[in-house]
Amino acid sequence: MHEVMWDAVLLVCEPRTLAIIAISAAYGIFVGSIPGLTATMATALIVPLTFYLSDVEAVAAIVTTVTCSIFAGDIPATLVRIPGTPASAAYAADAYALTQQGLAQRALTTSLTFSTLGGLFGVLVLAVAAPQLATVATHFTSYEYFWLYVLGLTCAAIVSDEARLKGALALMIGIQLSTVGLGTDYSVPRLTFGVDELITGINFIPAMIGLFGVSEIFRNVLTMRRDRPSAGPLAPVPRAEAAATGGSDFPSVMAFTGRRIPQLLRSSTIGSLVGMLPGAGADIAAWISYAVSKRFSKRPEGYGSGSLEGLADATGANNAALGSAWIPALVFGIPGDSITAIAIGVLLMKNITPGPDIFDAGKHPEQAVLVGSIFVTFVLANLLLIPIGLAAIRTGSMLIRIPRRILLPAIMLFCIVGSYAMYGSYFDVWVMLAMGLLGFVLEKYGVPLGPVVLGIILGSQVEHTFIQCITKSSSLAAFFASPLSIGLGLIGVALWLGPAILSLARRNDGGDRQ
Amino acid sequence: MKMHSNQPGSIQLVLLAYWATFLLGCDVQETFPSRPITLICPWAAGGGTDRVSRMTAVHLEMELGVPVNVINATGGRGVTGHSHGLHAPPDGYTVLMGTVELNTMHWSGLTELTPVDATPLLSINEDSAALIVRTDAPWQTLGELEAEIRGKPKQLTCSGTATGGIWHLALAGWLLSMGMEADDITFVSESGAGPSLRELISGGLDMVCCSLPEAGTLMKAGQVRSLGLMAPRRVKDYPDVETFVEQGHDWSMGAWRGLLIPQDAPADVTDVLVTAIQRMVTGQTQVSGKTFAESMQIEGFNNAWRPPDDFRRFMNENDAKFGELLSTDAMRSVNADRYHPMAFPGMIMAVAIVLLVGVVIQTRLQETSTASLPPALEGERPDVNVANFALFVFAIAAFPLSGDRVGFVIFAAVMLIVTFRWLGCRWWTSALIAVVLSPLVYHTFAHILRVPLPRGVLGW
Repeated sequence: MHEVMWDAVLLVCEPRTLAIIAISAAYGIFVGSIPGLTATMATALIVPLTFYLSDVEAVAAIVTTVTCSIFAGDIPATLVRIPGTPASAAYAADAYALTQQGLAQRALTTSLTFSTLGGLFGVLVLAVAAPQLATVATHFTSYEYFWLYVLGLTCAAIVSDEARLKGALALMIGIQLSTVGLGTDYSVPRLTFGVDELITGINFIPAMIGLFGVSEIFRNVLTMRRDRPSAGPLAPVPRAEAAATGGSDFPSVMAFTGRRIPQLLRSSTIGSLVGMLPGAGADIAAWISYAVSKRFSKRPEGYGSGSLEGLADATGANNAALGSAWIPALVFGIPGDSITAIAIGVLLMKNITPGPDIFDAGKHPEQAVLVGSIFVTFVLANLLLIPIGLAAIRTGSMLIRIPRRILLPAIMLFCIVGSYAMYGSYFDVWVMLAMGLLGFVLEKYGVPLGPVVLGIILGSQVEHTFIQCITKSSSLAAFFASPLSIGLGLIGVALWLGPAILSLARRNDGGDRQ
Repeated sequence: MKMHSNQPGSIQLVLLAYWATFLLGCDVQETFPSRPITLICPWAAGGGTDRVSRMTAVHLEMELGVPVNVINATGGRGVTGHSHGLHAPPDGYTVLMGTVELNTMHWSGLTELTPVDATPLLSINEDSAALIVRTDAPWQTLGELEAEIRGKPKQLTCSGTATGGIWHLALAGWLLSMGMEADDITFVSESGAGPSLRELISGGLDMVCCSLPEAGTLMKAGQVRSLGLMAPRRVKDYPDVETFVEQGHDWSMGAWRGLLIPQDAPADVTDVLVTAIQRMVTGQTQVSGKTFAESMQIEGFNNAWRPPDDFRRFMNENDAKFGELLSTDAMRSVNADRYHPMAFPGMIMAVAIVLLVGVVIQTRLQETSTASLPPALEGERPDVNVANFALFVFAIAAFPLSGDRVGFVIFAAVMLIVTFRWLGCRWWTSALIAVVLSPLVYHTFAHILRVPLPRGVLGW
């Protein structure tokens, strides 16, 4: 094993490979920070190039691109409240609230630090426990997945604490939107009202850009007037603080990180576990980690309005999920998410066959070295993320100094391109506009937007697994047939009812005392 | 450039000029191909069709000398991608990786699209259906499985694709050909072969019907094995897998993939594409030292190249065959949904309405208890500027309305200038930013990221 790893290190440290890693890192940051271009798309775009690369270089390019683009999704989420990738949606509200408090630099530096540490944890899990964990993942049938999705959705609804009813309503709106069109299982379109383009459903990328980004633009322009210089920057620029620390909040972030090592381990564990389940991935990992973080926080009231803790825990989890997403892909050839699906395609091209013995140096010496080089690249990519990420944060933070009257139209242009680009579809631009209006109205009435986005992403999965489960057996008992589904189901129910029971108990307590 | 004009008249002038360009819209003559080509894959990234599409794209890119970008237009059992590809302008810049669903979807009433709507370029590959079970499954042969189904019908579950998809048809057709009922094995709808195989090894299904390359990795890992291949003869890469015919079941069915463009494509464009694809499949192009055929071989895909005329004939024969199969009453029931399509959305809607009522009541209660708090967020409503709002809505709407005619760069520049000016920027600032930013964004997306943006009168 040690010799294999050493060989892998030597392989990755060739100058050409290192150069490719550096270029991929910059590319990943760039694509990830443009709203609408996801980490998946970034990977898909480099696949044709990987045909010209050696196997190690190809793997290195993909791993680095993904690592960097998932972090980069936090940059627009923080600065202009448009999540660059769906994995950042869980804490977009917090990150943007911090920007409005003049703490954009600190929010981003925190996000960078925790992304890196979470990412490193994910690699560690991948390198140490992949074969064992993969066996666990194979016990997940549609019943377990159903409960997992319910759990993810629950987390999104309960994080909006003071307005839990509104959070649940937002979730239902999102799920309802996800049922538009054919769905996976039906040949009859639903809720399309005769619009042909809706047959294929609502794409979540334009929906997300609309809900978060466009609605914010609308909210801003509504109070601006051309004859008044109210069109200043989007957020206050913390001049004094910026001058004192040289623009970056590195020392204070380091101190903060030091205090949160236990929570970091918790969120990274959640991220790794959720990430290794095929079909779950970084998005859900971020939500669950955020909800858990809030449950155990001493200051849960700050969540949703600029909580560094929530931001740190969720961003650590989504990066940890990246490493473990490779577990089922490498061990069974079953990709954990669309990114690893593409990566598996490349591996097959390079004559690597995934399988339980992929790590076995005795059986496949060359293959084991290549797999080792995946680990090495992950570590390297995460370390490289720090300098490149800091540079990106510096550049990005200039955005908030631009006057709003220049910034808002420019952001809108990027929103339009971002929603058009994914499928080259004008209809998606209409979707973005409609969702922008919806988001604007919902926010006006204090309905949180995060659950809507998660509802759109997970809604079709929930319906799909639900229909599968009741197709297999019409009895409700089947939903609780295995210990795993009982466990997941109980956690879900407890999360929903827990707070209600607690507050009920508290009220009863109070009543007794009076 | 007018430096100091502050009247809104200047904005109106810009808008007028913009819509004039929109109405003008003329085509620039050029030789094919002179810009990036989009290859549409109707199925998700990572699947078999996606893998074939991406391999095709790199090789074609080499042959044609322009970028070939794969777009996964997924959903609706393949309807999305096929209609995307066949309803595109027939200029050769949109090519579709068509699949067997083009033969089946219209018989099931999913779409109006039939093979007649397409101009065939070349068929690429063909894979037969196979029955896959876990290695520890009790049945060693097809006969043993058949006996179990006849003994205890409707007990076993199978998947491989969505209800009514090709692998479902293959399974149901086999059952019917054996004189059993199409639903004697319960078919669980899945989004593809990958998720089905995952469910199979976790014990959630009893068998999966899909192609051998799709199950190849798990077969080599010893997790699953195949009970039989629905093909006339065995395939080279899996010599141990017996065919259904060998086991006394006269049944075969498979899926094809092939390149198509919309119906009215001009002959010169079709010729260029067909020649390029022919050179690709005959090994004239090499990517990382491998020809297209070699790459396909490595991934275990079965090559089936047919020139346009043969491809057309093949599609028509297939169409007739599926028409016969799918018109029978037994097969109609295969396509029927087990649960009403509105069952789940209806449930969600009911819950949403209850919650909405709850929220309204809660808000009322809070309002009465806390007297009169301002309803707006952060008390931010001094004077509301509805005109701003309307302009921004219109600016977004202008893109889908005019993008194809005027092109992205002109749209972006005009949109930026108008909104900058409206919000009170100076003329020269607005113009400068617009002139720099618009081509920059276009270049970044269309050339560096290879995401095509609309080209208009300027060919930009």
